Amino acid sequence: MLLDIQNLTKSFGGLTAVSNVTFGIERGEIVGIFGPNGSGKTTTLSLIAGILKPTSGAIRWKGNDIGTLTPFEVAQQGVVKTFQNPQLFPELTVVEHMRIACHLHIKRELGMRRLRTLFGGLPGELDRTLERKIDQMLELCRLKTQRNDEASALSYGGEKMLGVAMGMVCDPELLLLDEPASGLGHDEINNLDAVLRDLKTHGVTLCIIDHKVGFLGRLADRSIALHHGAVIAAGKTDEVLANDAVVAAYLGKKHA
Amino acid sequence: MRYTILIGLLLALAAPAAITSDSVLSIAIYGFMAASLAVSFNLIFGFTGQLSMFHAASFGVSAYIVAILVTTFKWNFWLAIVPAVVVVMILSLIVGTICFRFKLKEFYFAVVTMAFSEMLRLITLNWNSVTNGSLGITVVDKPSIWTPSGSIAVSSGIAWYYLTLALLVVVYIVCHRILASWIGRCLAAIRLNDQLGETLGIDVFKYKLLSFAAGSMLAGLVGAFYGFYSGFVEPHYLSITLGLDIVAMVLLGGVNSLIGPVIGALVLTALPHLIELSAELRIALYGAILIFVILVMPKGIIGLITSRKHAA
Repeated sequence: MLLDIQNLTKSFGGLTAVSNVTFGIERGEIVGIFGPNGSGKTTTLSLIAGILKPTSGAIRWKGNDIGTLTPFEVAQQGVVKTFQNPQLFPELTVVEHMRIACHLHIKRELGMRRLRTLFGGLPGELDRTLERKIDQMLELCRLKTQRNDEASALSYGGEKMLGVAMGMVCDPELLLLDEPASGLGHDEINNLDAVLRDLKTHGVTLCIIDHKVGFLGRLADRSIALHHGAVIAAGKTDEVLANDAVVAAYLGKKHA
Repeated sequence: MRYTILIGLLLALAAPAAITSDSVLSIAIYGFMAASLAVSFNLIFGFTGQLSMFHAASFGVSAYIVAILVTTFKWNFWLAIVPAVVVVMILSLIVGTICFRFKLKEFYFAVVTMAFSEMLRLITLNWNSVTNGSLGITVVDKPSIWTPSGSIAVSSGIAWYYLTLALLVVVYIVCHRILASWIGRCLAAIRLNDQLGETLGIDVFKYKLLSFAAGSMLAGLVGAFYGFYSGFVEPHYLSITLGLDIVAMVLLGGVNSLIGPVIGALVLTALPHLIELSAELRIALYGAILIFVILVMPKGIIGLITSRKHAA
């Protein structure tokens, strides 16, 4: 098991946002987490990414507890999260965003030898590898033509894709996507769908949350449904979607 | 821009041939030291986004340590720089760790660093047995430089001119190399969106601390020279006024570059001498410039020049 979550609970004062959630993710899977607004999806993802600390329960990554790590330490372990509202570095161009996102790669390649690059610049070979990787990722995410544009000039969908591209260029083993499809148009969703399938063929494990059932339904191998912070159904995506409790959570009991 | 800077440097190297007045030379020397301070400050402020009010303290503490080691303990000037910069490093690591662990940002960071700075100023003011209190320390020694024909004391204006110009070049190159490297990208990420940077694997705490300590150590290096040129060290070196002067220099020149602070520092050092001003009026002028720049040209002189270029 790549990621193993046991009895994860997060309370904010009197409010329990995530309650006793248990699930696992195997390597190479696409796992969907869905549920209506306020069901604890984003909180769960933030807990995994180290942005929030669990009240109780365990988050194990390859057998090691990562629940107490800070976000950058979690990222260094190979778990990278994108944001629901696109986060950018204002003023910087698309390719500059990607170069910042290469930080982990440089660190992994050079270790403390990085200090030597202060005076000579990056070794030519590594520099070329990174630029090639950036170009590949931008092409995959359909951002190649906007390479040198300021990122704030991108469309909303473009900003979201840049988030995915930045996450991917870190070479994560697990990419956590927080509502990647929200706010996107029909074409952009199809585009995103294709990109994520592409990523899967590259061996990346994905955990995606969304409340758009249709989009996740097509993509995810396995799903978990949350409601009021608790898991109400888990298993094959189409079975979960047909589950009475899930339908009731989305549409009210009358429709179940 | 690179060629403009090189031409500026060549002009600065040739200038003493044309400067006959000692007072002009002295303005240039103070200008170079102020520029070194402003450049090192901009590493922390303009490029990492942290408004440090600790810069004057780093500068002053180092000036005191070098002065005491040389006058009381008869150390060699160059050797005395080492412990001075090391002490500044330790102080900045302590202050930085406290501020960044508590995630102090913007205004809060400025106020807390200012409080630490003021604390150190009060120590220098009241620790009479070591610092000679408000009278400060008079420094008569001059640093000497080794040449093949024996060591010569840096006492003439021309010698100080080249020494401080070299200091500025060193500070500039160190900051430039840091910013051009992967560290510079991490600093940009922290300045522009630290939360995003953190999820991309950047250790925000470590790089903030690195920038703060590196900038402060460079300020310490400048402080070591300053006391020896001016001939005295006093508690005023650690004052908030000096901290604000540096802010004004950087804002006037332009926060988004390293050359901007150099220009801002030279202008603000020369200005009071071009138009005769009393100390009170000088501070008022600084304040007025600060307000004007923030309102009308937030990117400073450099921003004005480069935007002209883009428009053309």
